[in-house]
Amino acid sequence: MKVLVVEDEQGLAESITDYMVKDGYICETAATFRDAEEKIHLYTYDCVIVDLTLPDGNGFQIIEMLKRLIATTGVIIISARNALEDKLKGLEIGSDDYLTKPFHLSELNARVKSLLRRRQFGGHTEIRFQEIVVVPQTRKVFVNGQLTMLSRKEYDLLLYFLSNVDVALTKASIAEHLWGDNIDSADSFDMVYSHIKNLRRKLLEKGAADYVQSIYGIGYKFSQP
Amino acid sequence: MKLLTKTNQIYLTFSLVIYLLTGLAFYQIIRLLIYDEVESRLKVERRDFETYVRTHNAWTSAPYFVENKIEVRPVSKRVPIAEAFKDTLIQNRYDNELIPFRQLTFYEPIHGVVHRVSIRKSLIQTYRLIEVISIAMVLFLGLLLLGMFWFQRKLSGRLWLPFYDTLSRIKQFDLNNDTSLLLSKPEITEFNELNDVLQKMAAKMQQDFRSLKEFTENASHEMQTPLALINAKVEQLIQTEQLTETQTNWIESIYQASRRISRLNQGLLLLAKIENRQFSDTQSVDLSALLTEKLTDMEEVLSFKQLSVEVQTTAPFDVQLPASLADSLVTNLVNNAIKHNQPNGRIELTSTADQLCLSNTGGQLTSDPERLFERFKKESTGPDSVGLGLAIVRQICDSYSLHIAYRETGGIHEFCISRIG
Repeated sequence: MKVLVVEDEQGLAESITDYMVKDGYICETAATFRDAEEKIHLYTYDCVIVDLTLPDGNGFQIIEMLKRLIATTGVIIISARNALEDKLKGLEIGSDDYLTKPFHLSELNARVKSLLRRRQFGGHTEIRFQEIVVVPQTRKVFVNGQLTMLSRKEYDLLLYFLSNVDVALTKASIAEHLWGDNIDSADSFDMVYSHIKNLRRKLLEKGAADYVQSIYGIGYKFSQP
Repeated sequence: MKLLTKTNQIYLTFSLVIYLLTGLAFYQIIRLLIYDEVESRLKVERRDFETYVRTHNAWTSAPYFVENKIEVRPVSKRVPIAEAFKDTLIQNRYDNELIPFRQLTFYEPIHGVVHRVSIRKSLIQTYRLIEVISIAMVLFLGLLLLGMFWFQRKLSGRLWLPFYDTLSRIKQFDLNNDTSLLLSKPEITEFNELNDVLQKMAAKMQQDFRSLKEFTENASHEMQTPLALINAKVEQLIQTEQLTETQTNWIESIYQASRRISRLNQGLLLLAKIENRQFSDTQSVDLSALLTEKLTDMEEVLSFKQLSVEVQTTAPFDVQLPASLADSLVTNLVNNAIKHNQPNGRIELTSTADQLCLSNTGGQLTSDPERLFERFKKESTGPDSVGLGLAIVRQICDSYSLHIAYRETGGIHEFCISRIG
């Protein structure tokens, strides 16, 4: 999977790249409009992450250009502007998702994965992690072949974990993933805790190993025990 | 009062005074001249009379045709005046009309006896003359006055035309609109200069307003990007396996602080944007439906905090708001009602066509209720509260002619929104 990150802030581009490379992606960066223009003309990418404000141009133009070249490439906008008009315009010209800065790398990663699943296999793919199988199209979860009933939030939580295996996830990033930005985090942290407790219990009941580990002061990590 | 009315008024008053004074002076001068003339003729007649008396040493009195022209009466004692003029009225012998006369009185000895002699001259012709002259003068001066008045009115109307043109254009000028102020180039230097200055000022204002708007956007970008960087680096840092407990605590503090700055920044930018009226696409929004929907969305939080919700909407409460602000308004209201609630508390939404109220149970307010809507007024000291929620609610209401009121009765905190006007 090849991903292009168009972002002028060097440090942020680096962080995104590091995070994606660890997950097995081939990642390239472009810091300017010209750079990005050149790269999308020369190479083919599965997904492009675009910052809207670039020193020498506008991210929207890159998306338009890209959509003319290869329409199937997934596009995720990352922007500092939290304006409705920008989001609508982005969707209109063919982007798939919009993330407002500052965002969580884990969230970006989850969105990229979900986007690629939809783009590449039309959603007809299963996500496997050891004995856990998730079928995104029907939103069903199997552990050791047994159907496991999860609530909507528990399912979202599991998918978020599976998109970020072996990664320490902060409570805030989990809360924002589940409820969006508008929730008071004092409550949401408690709610995250209760959802994780339930998810863990349901997975254990079906004979899965205990993959959810809590990290003191930070949050949780989904990995091999 | 209008400028032209004012100048006309001043002009009219001033010219009327001048007109009256001129009229009066003119009348006096004519009168003086005429009296002078009559009196000099009377003096001539006196000389004639004296010559006659000296020659004939007698006076045959009162020929019938001359109406009381010369009256001679013997007097016993001579009064010590040489001669005196006076106005007198004498009755016409036919129609009993009083006729004005000028009379010269002097004393003359005839046959050794002192006689008082009065020579009279009718002033009736003179009076008519004065009348005619006066009427003519009033007429001409009046016409002149009216003519000048009319001319002056026309003239100033025309002279001030560019000024009124400029005024109406400035009135139509809208800062929010991107069209620049276009003014005509009148030939009068002062107006030309005025238009020049106004045009420059408007351009400067527009530029400032634009850069303010740009600043709002740029500030967002410039601050959110480093914050995103901090967040990303913190996220990478926590992946490190061998963190000590203290290090973890530090990292968590950094993380929370950066999230708070981000929320703060977003809140302040939203406030600035509302103040600058950068949301223009208002539409009719049913706030009560939107609030009900929001409460349903928050069901999970509500049940987690064991809060019961009661909705009593008798009629939709429609307001004119941009969609994103309507959402921001209800989100902040609901968040506030949840955050300051107590366990097993209640949230109640009531709405009529004129008013919408959201009330919640909760503890006593620790600060002044008047200052509840101020920025950075926080009831709780939680790290996630930035104290802008109600300020945003207030700003939205203020900017879109809505009124928000807070009331607290027996542990129930109620926020009511109503339309102004």
